[in-house]
Amino acid sequence: MRDVSIVGAGMVPFGKYPEKTLADIAWPAVKQAVVDAGIKKTDIEATYCGTALGGMMAGQRILKKLGITGLPIINIENACSSSSTAFREAWIAVAAGVYDAVLVIGVEKLTKFGGGTLPLEKEDWEVSHGLVMPALYAMRARRYMHEYGLTENDIADISVKARKHGVWNEDAQFRKEVTREEVLASRPVADPLKLFHCCPSGDGAAAVVICSAEKAKQYSAAPIKVIGSEINSGKYMTGYRDMTSPEITLRGAKQLYEEAGIGPEDVDLAEVHDAFAIAELLYYEALGFCAKGDAAKLLADGETSVGGKIPVNPSGGLLSKGHPIGSTGVAQIVEIVRQLRGQCGQRQVEGAKVGLTHCTGGGVSGFDHGVCSIHLFAR
Amino acid sequence: MSEELQEALNLAGDAVTRDADGTVRLIGSACVDCDEKVFPPTDVCPECMSENMSRLKLSAEGNLYSWSVIHAAPKGWSLPFVAAYVDLPEDIRVFAHIVDANPDSLEMDMPVKAQIAILGCDETGAPFESYAFTPVQKGDS
Repeated sequence: MRDVSIVGAGMVPFGKYPEKTLADIAWPAVKQAVVDAGIKKTDIEATYCGTALGGMMAGQRILKKLGITGLPIINIENACSSSSTAFREAWIAVAAGVYDAVLVIGVEKLTKFGGGTLPLEKEDWEVSHGLVMPALYAMRARRYMHEYGLTENDIADISVKARKHGVWNEDAQFRKEVTREEVLASRPVADPLKLFHCCPSGDGAAAVVICSAEKAKQYSAAPIKVIGSEINSGKYMTGYRDMTSPEITLRGAKQLYEEAGIGPEDVDLAEVHDAFAIAELLYYEALGFCAKGDAAKLLADGETSVGGKIPVNPSGGLLSKGHPIGSTGVAQIVEIVRQLRGQCGQRQVEGAKVGLTHCTGGGVSGFDHGVCSIHLFAR
Repeated sequence: MSEELQEALNLAGDAVTRDADGTVRLIGSACVDCDEKVFPPTDVCPECMSENMSRLKLSAEGNLYSWSVIHAAPKGWSLPFVAAYVDLPEDIRVFAHIVDANPDSLEMDMPVKAQIAILGCDETGAPFESYAFTPVQKGDS
């Protein structure tokens, strides 16, 4: 397999754009990535477009706006991991030598559903009995709080940290700080989770251009290297499973670190799938940033804030940047690219050399998560 | 199972039954070839892919693994409701509503038992009826 690098990145601010079409939300992100790469559009050999609920032919609908057509356009659905999956497939194609230069898009328009919890597949047994995503995370939260002695304050502080980072990110949906008291006073969604413990619903798009490392030299003096790519489905289990330990992330992280030949201590920053506040704490542990049960302490010590030992979600994460689900995987990668290039202003993680993205997707009975994709990048 | 019960249980279908003494039980599947147990019932074994599956009557009581009081859900569900995972002795975890209980009285791993409940209704007013669980009261057998 060949080495692969990112040469261009772009995204639109996440927010609510009910009056725009999916294509109109997305094309500015794609153009930004193409211009950032300095690549001729005719040199793009294929496009992988991730969207969970964007409907048929999302990639074609977006790319016709920019006249990037007449090439393979592959549309990919994998719930909230749709575009991290698209990135992984694009990486495989370039690493294998099938293409030299490929565009990856993540896009979603959730305002078309008019708000509320994410619409899930009704054929699923638990969904047919009233399961919603906040319920799943709330049950993880309650069990984790019970087993490790956490308080409501510990969970609220994740949201406080996320919103603080989001203030510094002009692409974030929420750019206002919140206090612990405001989080705890927000309306209940799925006890113990309140509204401010939950990522917002919204719209957005992100895009990157990737090349073989050899080709990347043509476009960028400082390409960002992809040093690890991993994806897995969850293991279907009908019986007891430990909901405080996200098995799919644990398994994926172990495999990824082994393949990349580095460990969690080598990671300078991470963008993780904090769809609900409890999730980020579970992922500190699953990704090896701290020992089991120590996540709240890592947060309280400021180690996962910008300026700490391992800043997590400097972009504001899903909680503050927003979570138009199919866009998230690529948007996380855009943040890592900008961080490794030193373009992030007040939220810059100083001296960052290695960044990690972690994106899950769930909503199917019997899985911890349906899918999880983790990537490692270096400058 | 009585025809009336089967007809009424529009969400659970044939995944729930009632013993002669009125005890409500969930029905799963057991693989005749490898003894894998699953809920809800299935026609193929997720362990060995055998299609030789038998109906398995599950224990009426289990333990509350975790729960959440749900305030936001699609139209139709009676809000707020308590969503939970219940662990049955057959090493089966079931997603279920907890009914007839004050949420503040719930405790981790407490014993709960199955019953029938109305969980909401569709836009025509037709009830969503299925199994649910409720805390085992002291003195219950």
